[in-house]
Amino acid sequence: MTATSNHIPSESDLIKGCIEGDAQMQRLLYDQFSPKMYGVCLRYTENTEDANDVMQEGFIKVYKSLSKFRAEGSFEGWIRRIFINTSIEHYRKKVKLYNVTEVQENTIEDSELDALDSLATKDILNIVNKLSPGYKQVFNLHVVEGYSHKEIADLLGITEGTSKSQLARAKGVLKKMIEAGIGSTNRN
Amino acid sequence: MQNFKNKLYNYETPPPEEIWNRISEGMQSEKVINISHHRKSKFIFYATAAAVSVVIIFLGSLFFKNEKISNSTGNVATKENPISPQKMKDSMFLNQKILESIIHNPKEKKEIVSNDLRETNIHTKYLTIEGPNGKPVKISPKVATLIVYADKEFPPRPVWSDKICKWQQIMLSSTISPTSAGLADLVQNASNNDKLQ
Repeated sequence: MTATSNHIPSESDLIKGCIEGDAQMQRLLYDQFSPKMYGVCLRYTENTEDANDVMQEGFIKVYKSLSKFRAEGSFEGWIRRIFINTSIEHYRKKVKLYNVTEVQENTIEDSELDALDSLATKDILNIVNKLSPGYKQVFNLHVVEGYSHKEIADLLGITEGTSKSQLARAKGVLKKMIEAGIGSTNRN
Repeated sequence: MQNFKNKLYNYETPPPEEIWNRISEGMQSEKVINISHHRKSKFIFYATAAAVSVVIIFLGSLFFKNEKISNSTGNVATKENPISPQKMKDSMFLNQKILESIIHNPKEKKEIVSNDLRETNIHTKYLTIEGPNGKPVKISPKVATLIVYADKEFPPRPVWSDKICKWQQIMLSSTISPTSAGLADLVQNASNNDKLQ
């Protein structure tokens, strides 16, 4: 079911309608942002079941928090942060993160991951999803979203050093997977 | 930003239709929760208001009860209701008896007064005088004795001084007393006579 309307409401009308509990506006907002946010959920979770749970929880949070949106940044960015935080919360409920011993990791240059560029998005996603949950969180937050290690440390409750180590290890594993040609298997 | 980063960042895929149904149901239950929470808040508000009212009534009753007790233990009873003619007659008779005793036996006035007041038949009776607002005021025999005793020879304790003075003033201005002056006035006269003799 997709909400149909001849008149496409503006972002502020959409927000206002959702705050007022207008079901049609809520559906329109969902239709507008759900594909992108589902992509976020799939990147941060381990399986589609978890992704669906985060998707549901995230949208309910969005609807409930809309009155707090101050339009200081982009609306999509604000929604995305809610979904990332919800994914992290979901993940932290399931897995206890431990600080790892900070060792000098072999630095892997981003250029060594250039091979990923030539792959289809779904294949890239499959490869990234093969990383262990801890590596995947840090990789997604730092490489894809552009969070600093300080922000990641705060978000995940780990030290900055641990964040850096996890990222280096994640890149190492990705490099090995690329070299081995892994990534064509589908996610469950 | 490398290409794969953009691809991952912008990756989008339609979610299963069931998710919207779950969200919609979730929102409905949120509304129900909110309504029940609102009702709960309302109930808490009214329950608190009722509890506060009960406490105020209870404290108020305690306050007025204590005030009533202190009035009843003060040995001075003020009556708003008019005194019946018979009671007034009895009070006049008692007043007269005490005053006569004082006037005719000034030397032994203290003993006479206290003896009269100790009599069982008058022990529970009151002297009736007119209060400052014109209403009849009854004074217990004990207080009357105390007021009569209160002179320079037998000054009352400091704590009683103010009350005695006040009642002496009331009695001096009393018009219900059977004589032309108040009881204290007569006591004062009797005392003066006593000194002259």
